[in-house]
Amino acid sequence: MKNAMPLQSACKEFEEDLVLYYYGETSDDDSRRVGQHLSGCLRCQGFLDDLQRLLPQMARSEELPQSFWDSYYRETVAKLAQQDERQHWWRSLIPQMKIWMVPAFGTVAMAVLVIGLLFGKGNLSSFTVRPAEKIPHEILADENQLQFFESMDLLESLGKLEAQDEQKPEALSPQSGRVRLQTGTA
Amino acid sequence: MTSPDELRDEQLVELCRQGQRHYFDVLVRRYMEKAFRIAFDFTRNTETAKDLSQDAFLRAFANINQFDGRSSFYTWFYRIVVNLCLDHARRRNRVAWESLDRITEEAGEHKELADSTFAPDQQAIASEAKRRVDHTLETMPNKQRTAFLLRNHQGLSIADVAKVMKTTEGTVRVYLHRAVAALRQSLLETV
Repeated sequence: MKNAMPLQSACKEFEEDLVLYYYGETSDDDSRRVGQHLSGCLRCQGFLDDLQRLLPQMARSEELPQSFWDSYYRETVAKLAQQDERQHWWRSLIPQMKIWMVPAFGTVAMAVLVIGLLFGKGNLSSFTVRPAEKIPHEILADENQLQFFESMDLLESLGKLEAQDEQKPEALSPQSGRVRLQTGTA
Repeated sequence: MTSPDELRDEQLVELCRQGQRHYFDVLVRRYMEKAFRIAFDFTRNTETAKDLSQDAFLRAFANINQFDGRSSFYTWFYRIVVNLCLDHARRRNRVAWESLDRITEEAGEHKELADSTFAPDQQAIASEAKRRVDHTLETMPNKQRTAFLLRNHQGLSIADVAKVMKTTEGTVRVYLHRAVAALRQSLLETV
């Protein structure tokens, strides 16, 4: 871009090939074909010259001092170390653990479990039965209603039994009739 | 005994997988400049390019076990860098590459553009050409820009660009031609 000269136009059918030719990305056959065309076409020669002049300049970038790269490298390595530490913090514990500590930890864990089961056996009810005072009032109210409905069901059943007895008076003896009378008065 | 710097990328990756993290530092040293240059080509900002390229190294290291070795390490790694840059560009969602003030300011820093041996009118044309090229690169479709930057600025072969972009070589050729045509058109408008 130092020389921002007008760009040459290429023959339309060769334009894409010329771009690839510039980058050295054409096949052998295409290279020969493009080379033959270039030898007789000033427009395409000018187009290729423009590519050779302009494209490398576009890629040119500012040179950075070595101190920048040193700093960059140190920072990146430090960040990698931090990331590694975060991901595998538990690994730092492994070297500190002796080999005999693994069965020792297992034995201690088993002992705690057994002691817990033995001494906590009689107190399981404290975990399963909730104290009444902790039951919400709404649930207690529902419980009273349930008892009420149960007693209503019982009375209804008794009424049905009495009705059945009244429908079969002939099947009953006078003795049993007295019993029924006593039951009815009761 | 072989020095770590002499080991191939794949050997270093394998050693990292085995838990020898410090071998990744060799890969950092080997690719830091290229990673930074790609990020800078996309962002045109030194600090952002530094952050993005360093982030690419962190991601590459975190996912080193996912590298299957079907492609080379550098195409795999370039893909991470390019994806980060494109994500960054999408997040910013801006049309202009840089503000006009910044371009004017930087025009003086780019010696190849504002060479003192050229007359002021030629310098002005060169600055304008640079601005147009930058703007065209910024506003062209991401795939064209990626193909162009990787081939022209990074010197990757079309085959490698295709691997980085996970597309065919034919498609990359088309992207490359369109990008060059767009850049050429922007320069034609300058003069």
